[in-house]
Amino acid sequence: MMDTNLQKDDLTGIIKFIPPLYKQRYQFIKDLVIKYKPKKVADLGCADCTLLWMLKFCKCIEELAGLDIRENVMKEKMHRLSPLPADYLQPSERSLTVTLHHGSVAHKDPCMLGFDLVTCIELIEHLEAAELEKFPEVVFGFMAPAMVVISTPNSEFNPLLPGVTLFRHSDHKFEWDRAQFQSWAVAAATRYDYTVEFTGLGTPPPGTEDVGFCTQIGVFVRKYPKNGEIVNSEKHTEHAYKTVFKAVHPSLKDEKYLQNAVVSEVLFGADIIKRRLLGNFKSECKEHSDGLETKLKFQPFKYFMRCSKNLSLAETEKLDADRSMEPFIDGNTVYIPLAKIFSIPKVNQLCGTFEKLSKLIAGKVALSNDGSAVIVTIEYENEEQEN
Amino acid sequence: MYQVGRNFYSPSDPVEIPQHKLTLWPGFAVSITQFENRVMLSADVSHKVLRSETVLEFMTSLYTRIDRACFIQTCEKELVGLIVLTRYNNKTYRIDDIDWCVKPTDTFPKRDGTEISYVDYYKQQYDIVLTDLNQPMLVSRLKSKQNSTVEPRVVHLIPELCYLTGLTSRAISDFRLMKDLAQEMHLNPEQRQQRLSRLADNIQRIKEARLELEMWGLQLGCQVSLTGRVVPTEKILMQEQTCLPMSAGDWSKDMRNMKIIGVQPLDNWLMLCSNRNGELAENLLNCLKRVGGPMGFHIEYPRIVQVQESPMAFLRAVQQHVNPEVQLVMCVLSSNQKDCYDSIKKFLSLDRPVPSQCVLARTLNKQGMMMSVATKIAMQIICKLGGELWAVEIPLKSLMVIGIDVNKDDLNKGSSVVGFVASTNSKITRWFSRCILRNSGTDIADCLKVCMKGAISKWHKYNCELPARIIVYRDGVADGQLKMVVDYEVPQLLSVLTELTTNYSPKVSVIVVRKKCIPRFFTEANRSLQNPPVGTIVDTEATRPEWYDFYLISQLARQGTVNPTYYNVVYDNSGLKPDHMQRLTYKMCHLYYNWPGLIRVPAPCQYAHKLTFLVGQSIHREPSLELADKLFYL
Repeated sequence: MMDTNLQKDDLTGIIKFIPPLYKQRYQFIKDLVIKYKPKKVADLGCADCTLLWMLKFCKCIEELAGLDIRENVMKEKMHRLSPLPADYLQPSERSLTVTLHHGSVAHKDPCMLGFDLVTCIELIEHLEAAELEKFPEVVFGFMAPAMVVISTPNSEFNPLLPGVTLFRHSDHKFEWDRAQFQSWAVAAATRYDYTVEFTGLGTPPPGTEDVGFCTQIGVFVRKYPKNGEIVNSEKHTEHAYKTVFKAVHPSLKDEKYLQNAVVSEVLFGADIIKRRLLGNFKSECKEHSDGLETKLKFQPFKYFMRCSKNLSLAETEKLDADRSMEPFIDGNTVYIPLAKIFSIPKVNQLCGTFEKLSKLIAGKVALSNDGSAVIVTIEYENEEQEN
Repeated sequence: MYQVGRNFYSPSDPVEIPQHKLTLWPGFAVSITQFENRVMLSADVSHKVLRSETVLEFMTSLYTRIDRACFIQTCEKELVGLIVLTRYNNKTYRIDDIDWCVKPTDTFPKRDGTEISYVDYYKQQYDIVLTDLNQPMLVSRLKSKQNSTVEPRVVHLIPELCYLTGLTSRAISDFRLMKDLAQEMHLNPEQRQQRLSRLADNIQRIKEARLELEMWGLQLGCQVSLTGRVVPTEKILMQEQTCLPMSAGDWSKDMRNMKIIGVQPLDNWLMLCSNRNGELAENLLNCLKRVGGPMGFHIEYPRIVQVQESPMAFLRAVQQHVNPEVQLVMCVLSSNQKDCYDSIKKFLSLDRPVPSQCVLARTLNKQGMMMSVATKIAMQIICKLGGELWAVEIPLKSLMVIGIDVNKDDLNKGSSVVGFVASTNSKITRWFSRCILRNSGTDIADCLKVCMKGAISKWHKYNCELPARIIVYRDGVADGQLKMVVDYEVPQLLSVLTELTTNYSPKVSVIVVRKKCIPRFFTEANRSLQNPPVGTIVDTEATRPEWYDFYLISQLARQGTVNPTYYNVVYDNSGLKPDHMQRLTYKMCHLYYNWPGLIRVPAPCQYAHKLTFLVGQSIHREPSLELADKLFYL
């Protein structure tokens, strides 16, 4: 839980949370994700998808889903969940699929099964009585994720908020105090085999601690770990939600992107080696010249490293001694042994093993007759004329 | 597909050019318009160029390539002014400065007042781990949108997380980069056709796409087939002979050993070269004399001045030795230093107006190329002296042809350069060239009026009468500016003519020229698709019903698919038949003296373009009017 800075403006008595409470709620979820590393996360009542956008950056998540009853609110900002051009240029290592559904939490849909974390931030107070009644069965009974987080306003804090007469928001159907929320939560937890712990965000100013947090939160954890199959007494195959948006982010788990990235790095590295051999590079081993550049701390790390973390010390020593790792020129072709290519840090990192490298570049990169080296032809430059 | 701007691209099928860290996304530029007979979908293949190089990678490779002593300076020179795209959101920023003293491990204050280091911030917000903890910071000043007096907010960006965008002028002048790029982007007719058919197929096949069309009551039909005409090949007129080129668009070979139409002899001229290029210069001179003879160009021995290597030395020598009688200054430069070139061109265009010719030593060094290089140089010199190389038959008497182009000034970002080139004789072999600088955003009609007055008075001076016909080819019209040209520029130009003298009412036509248009045309030959021959005209089906417009293919495409040029006649009281107008336009594409062959736009537009290019890149001011009747900018 974050340290909350509470400011009470002495002149007007207005309470202001820094950072704003909604941000603190999203951060709370993000902290949970960082701690427990769920793979599949769903946000019920995702509205403008801000929480989903924040969670998009958590590398452990492979599937993100959002559900909301208001389609146009989701559609307005859903483009934020699409991959960025940079994601195609440098695909991440894990795969990520983001889906948005239009539907109600009172209905069951198999697309919400198998999740590790389901969040309902400031959701339940917007539900009509009939929907609220169905909520525990749908979320705890049917969806049955490993963890559920529910946050809702604590009505005991309301007297401290100026301008709040009945409810904090005109769309709220109810606002519970701590006793009401906790009794509802414990009942649901007991019924569906969950444990529940209570906490909150937004501490009250000194002297009024007895009102409790501004936002109360219940964190539910399922008691019995699910075995592989989805055991459901009613085989529910009907789809009640409509998929409004789906984006599959490019990832290196997709062989196509991995191959693309590896081939690009191999060709780029081969081109650099070729240019070095042809003497277009200034020697990298030049020492600093008379202290002129000592101020400059920036020193890009060497492009080729001799030790790779994927090679054992013995293997590295062998490579050092192995002269056949050195590139050479024959006629107008440069031959670069695959072992040398494999020692390029980025290539090494992407492929992991030598076999993987060979497999990925097969057919995409020009190789020597015996397949042991990458070949690059030397072209003549043909510059345009000045006038 | 991913939408960028108005076009659509497939990021999942990228074409990589790894040596230059470029990625191409294949895609389409699409528009739907009402054409002559029906509503048609125009689609052309388009490629989005992305740079997969981060600023950090750029700095690293720069570091290994150049002298460490000038790394900071060069880095700043290369990067400041560029736009970068940040990795974690879709925002672009302009690099205004580089802060070498701040590192990612330093802290900055957050909105709530607490301090956090850049490393931690990016880890927390975006789960990004920075690998280089010594990199400097890029600085960008964000101007406040509302209040321009408020201090702009300063943002620090991490080079590792910023991608370069666009092609810098260094990249564009990198010949190999452009060649590799062209190889991937230029499709021959068959390939282009394949991609477009696949798009049409997909629209038909994919249910959602078809349903979307049907909802509007539309259906996608098949590709349109139409009939065009091919204009007969033009004869090229030289001094004593006429030649009909062997291959329609290229007469460089046919022209050898023919005399050019006319030029004054080159008696008094100056040649400057650095001390070590003395021998090269001598070689060049000998070759020039050898090629000059058959051409009919008499070249005397120049005054040769050897100077030191530095750019300042060249400029000083020019200042010292050039007097008003000198006809031409030739400089043999040892390296492609823009500053040297710019300073020479500036002095000889503004302060002491004398035509100049700059040659790179590297060009003269190439084995076996000396004669063809000398031929090209000799032809350029002839033009710079005001000479005439070749002509085509012009069936109309008393015709003045004008070309207009507008470009940006490289140095002063808010400035536009307006080029105006008008023919001054009825053979259309001599030209009056004028260039005016203007603030972008203001319309250029008054510049054009001034230029028009000057052109008419020159015509009158050489021909003792006023031109009976005037045809204006207006290039450089941006999307959305067409209405302004038609409603405002044209009347302004016409008003100049009526105000000149009483009873002067020439027949005027104004044609807007467009080099980039979506439609491409193919011919079927031997069961495969090929480029149509030069001289092909299309004025049905693919043109607009309410306009007087046509497409003309006046370019030889050696690789890829040829780009037709689009002409829109926006004003015409000449009474010329469209067929004649089209043929006249085709003739105009033969008269660009810097290229013995057909070019894509009418010659006066290309001259205007070259003039604005020189002024916008190197001179940045209006050249002296003393040079107006020489093609000094070729």
